[in-house]
Amino acid sequence: MSIKFTCDDKQTLVSYLYGEVDHETRQAVDAHLDACAACAAEVIALGDARSGLGLWVPPDVELDFKIVKKSELPPANVLRPARWWNTVPAWAQAAAAILVLASAAAIANVQVKSGPEGFSVSTGWMTPQAPALSAPAVRNADGRQVEEWRAALVSLEQQLRSEIRSTREQETRVAARTPADEATIRRVQQLIAASEQRHEQELAMRFIEFTRDINMQRRADLQNVARGMVNYDERLMRQGQTINSLIRVSTTPQQ
Amino acid sequence: MVATDEELVARSMDGDVDSFNQLVLRWERPIYALAYRVIGRDEDARDVAQETFLRAFRALPGFKGQAKFSSWLYRIALNLCRDWIRRKKRTPIVDMPEGVDVIELAAEQGPVESIEDLVARQEMSRIVAQGMKLLPDEQRTAIVLKEYHGLTFQEIADLQGCPLSTVKTRLYQGLTVLRRHLESQGMTSFEKSEKGS
Repeated sequence: MSIKFTCDDKQTLVSYLYGEVDHETRQAVDAHLDACAACAAEVIALGDARSGLGLWVPPDVELDFKIVKKSELPPANVLRPARWWNTVPAWAQAAAAILVLASAAAIANVQVKSGPEGFSVSTGWMTPQAPALSAPAVRNADGRQVEEWRAALVSLEQQLRSEIRSTREQETRVAARTPADEATIRRVQQLIAASEQRHEQELAMRFIEFTRDINMQRRADLQNVARGMVNYDERLMRQGQTINSLIRVSTTPQQ
Repeated sequence: MVATDEELVARSMDGDVDSFNQLVLRWERPIYALAYRVIGRDEDARDVAQETFLRAFRALPGFKGQAKFSSWLYRIALNLCRDWIRRKKRTPIVDMPEGVDVIELAAEQGPVESIEDLVARQEMSRIVAQGMKLLPDEQRTAIVLKEYHGLTFQEIADLQGCPLSTVKTRLYQGLTVLRRHLESQGMTSFEKSEKGS
């Protein structure tokens, strides 16, 4: 069965244009083009458009992409320095918060009392005179508690300090340069060098453009000067002629 | 003997970064050219090309070889181009190559081509680029993939996620618009040697 090609079969026309048709279809399209001037003209015009596409060339740029293997470091250590508090365990942070609150309370001498008038909160060391009775017993009990608190707080503080110190040491060890970092630095240096080279080239091109512009402007100026000189000469000549005619007229004896 | 893409991909998947860098070297220019012609800006095309290889490297363990490596790269690059166009929400702008100096180009071309010819060629290139800018993204991408990267209709259909017939229609419509634009600018015939198939 022979293949028949018609004018409105644009898909086959495109396949023909790109040479992606079988032998029979090609023969059918060829036969049609011999008979149909409109389709023949269209194929030529589309071929011209394709030829025009050949003129569109992307800039010839240096790419030089390269994959550089990163180390197993977490991204935070690569992209930005880690904050020390990010590496302190949560329990230590909570303990530190309690320590701060307790210290603040101790310094401020916060006292909460309840009585017939309701709750009252007072701070500071200027407390009102307490009743004489039972005061020593209370003071002794408070003193023991304060001592216990103080000891607990001191040990907690020491624990926190040692924890923070060890964490910082770990961080210092992690932040030390690895071969991958060296590779990254080398890559960055290469990029900077390439960038500098590009800038130098651009500067050179700009300088060439500038020189060319200056030369063109100089030539244009010289031409203008030459034209001006010619005009000036012509004016001088005309003025001379006028003066001569005036002299002639003035020296001619009147009748 | 030069290793094939498949061999280099296999070695890259085994952790050989140098093999992947060979693939990068082999494909960086086509991918950059694709991005440049689709989005039309040199710097952004570079960024897209670079990101393409980064994503390909990260996604390499998931590459099962169902498609050619190049098709896979093209797909990543086209997705990035599409994202770029969507993000920027602007029509792709096709500029002349940045920093191109006619005199220097003439020197590179040698004594065969005169400066006048070169300027004319650049002007024609600019007109073609303008014509391509007129096309919808899908038509422009189909033409770029076909004309400059030699993909088959089926490969373009796979990349664009559309039927084969749609690809042919896009090519026909795109070429027709381009042809009219070139004719309106007085560009009607070209030397056969310039024709790229």
